[in-house]
Amino acid sequence: MKRLSFPFLLISLVSGQWNYSGSFQPITMHRTSDLSNISLPFRIAEIEVGFSKGDFDFTTSSVVEYRWTGGNAEFDLREAYLIWYPSWGEVKLGKQIHAWGAVDGNNPTDNLNPYDYYYMFLAGADRKIGTLSGSVKYYWNDWQLEAVVIPEHEPNRYPFGEDDFPIAMDDPGDFLTAGETLAEYGMRVQTTMGNSDISLSFFSGRDRGFTLVGYKYYIDWATPVLTYRKTDVIGIDIVTFFGDLTGRTEVGYFNTNNNHTTDIKTFNDAAYVQFASQLEYTTTNDITLMIQLIGNDVLAVNGSTYAYDENGNPTELIAMNEDELQQGMGTPFAMFTDLGMFLSATGNYWDNALEIRINTFMDLEDNQAMLGGGVSYSPVENLDLELSITQFYGAEGTQFKTMEDFSHIQIGLKYSF
Amino acid sequence: MKKFIFGIISISFVLGQTGYEIAKMVDEKPTPKDLSNKTKMVLTNSKGKSRTNAMVSKSTDGNKKQIIWFIEPKDDKGVAFLKIEHDDKDDEMRMWLPAFKKVRRISSKKKGDSFMGSDLSYEDLSSRELDENKYNRLDDEHVDEVDCYVLEIIPKPEAKSTYTKHISWIAKDGLYGVKEESFDKRGELKKKKSFTFQKLKNYYVIKKVFVEDVQKKHSTEVTFSDVQVDTGIDENLFQEKNLKRLPHN
Repeated sequence: MKRLSFPFLLISLVSGQWNYSGSFQPITMHRTSDLSNISLPFRIAEIEVGFSKGDFDFTTSSVVEYRWTGGNAEFDLREAYLIWYPSWGEVKLGKQIHAWGAVDGNNPTDNLNPYDYYYMFLAGADRKIGTLSGSVKYYWNDWQLEAVVIPEHEPNRYPFGEDDFPIAMDDPGDFLTAGETLAEYGMRVQTTMGNSDISLSFFSGRDRGFTLVGYKYYIDWATPVLTYRKTDVIGIDIVTFFGDLTGRTEVGYFNTNNNHTTDIKTFNDAAYVQFASQLEYTTTNDITLMIQLIGNDVLAVNGSTYAYDENGNPTELIAMNEDELQQGMGTPFAMFTDLGMFLSATGNYWDNALEIRINTFMDLEDNQAMLGGGVSYSPVENLDLELSITQFYGAEGTQFKTMEDFSHIQIGLKYSF
Repeated sequence: MKKFIFGIISISFVLGQTGYEIAKMVDEKPTPKDLSNKTKMVLTNSKGKSRTNAMVSKSTDGNKKQIIWFIEPKDDKGVAFLKIEHDDKDDEMRMWLPAFKKVRRISSKKKGDSFMGSDLSYEDLSSRELDENKYNRLDDEHVDEVDCYVLEIIPKPEAKSTYTKHISWIAKDGLYGVKEESFDKRGELKKKKSFTFQKLKNYYVIKKVFVEDVQKKHSTEVTFSDVQVDTGIDENLFQEKNLKRLPHN
């Protein structure tokens, strides 16, 4: 029997269909201030290999991460999953990236995968980390019902101790505890009503980012306890059309609580909302304009924080105010501002050989902004030359002020195969 | 009075069908239940520089449901487009964007938008509703030895067309389009289209389209290969999930 199974497997593999695609994309990043190299890892190559047979596909997506200043390349299997396409829908199992939500990029309801903060400024799936998960999607007329189970919590990847990363992050080390291991799950139902698509979603999991939840006593001192809070998210997203305008809106209601046992508990629970709403319009000369409003509001917080004396010593626990709540789930833009506006314009010229992009993010509450622009030029088919610039501006005390030194030019090329 | 009536009858007899009747004949001629093909689209600019796109297309219900998977350029491989036309509401158009892992609903109202940078707009790719246009019959002509009806087609306001007029040359034998000129909102010639058809299972099936945007001095040639008709494409193919999976044959 063992002799038979190997040739059978071989015949199965030969009779199926292999496919592959990928790209080489070396890029470098330089500060606009002095053109010095920014030492961060970049994905310089990616390849997707798939195998299809009957109603089954197996898909993998891998990248090579390379740091110009360090010189060592690392291979990362970002996704590897099996898909079954029965007549009624699709079933996926393995390490995979999901995408929920209606708006582009900053989705409050898209919490199934953690973010890779090294690639936070990339779009789409590139900034997410694949999670081992199973999903089932059922299609019925204009309805879609999706259920996702994630057996093990996966946190965001943070660039601890990276001097060149724009947001300083210290490794929490032993202060960070993994916390309870509960399976995470989510459900989403989508339907088409008139000329609109409407979705409702629910996700129950643990925060992707860690936060302080209390302190633990040792003999004569207390150490902070950081962990990933349990958070439930109820989401709604809508795509609709107003004449030539396309509107996409997404709202997430987050309920987060701390089940972790500590000697001093500084966080109990909180509720907050995040929203993103965008309008798109394509001009007669094929320029796509987009305006997106992103915001969040803390509805309630039940926790405490230490007050400090003039020497920086803790004195007493006082009630936590809403501004002190760190939102461990939802769009990463919530860490920058409570209300911001993203504007972009993209135009394609010369039969799509040239793409020009302009984008701006403006904080509508604090005096800070990000301005960016880029050009992609394809001199021959499958080869793109890329040049982009990102500049941060901020008043004293703002996040973007600390990021001004990260203002950069990015140069690269991409060969697709 | 009698003379006048006789005159009208005579003229009607000589000219045969009206523009509307010819359009109705074209609309009602047998069409494949479903159609699949490989499509190569070559875009050529005014300097003669060309770029090629390749895709696989499957459609049914007279092209009212269509799914297109993009194969080339390599950067776009895996992108796919689903169109479902409705009689009672706006058409549905969705795109699968592998880089975002997302099916994105897109506007079907911008009919004038270019399809993948080509000289074909979404309107050019959509079926024309018979009663959303007025038809005037012009003098018959021969085009490359093909005897043609010539129709002036004027979209009514409800068609929400980006054109004000089309002149269509329709082969009398087969009732397929041979060429067409389309005029913009200013009444100026915008596009010249020519079509080549092949006969397959008693249908005239499109083999090649050449579109020239005379204002932009830009052209697109679309060639269809591996054309198959009435293969029994399952209606369930025209679902979002199938956008994510390149067809295997």
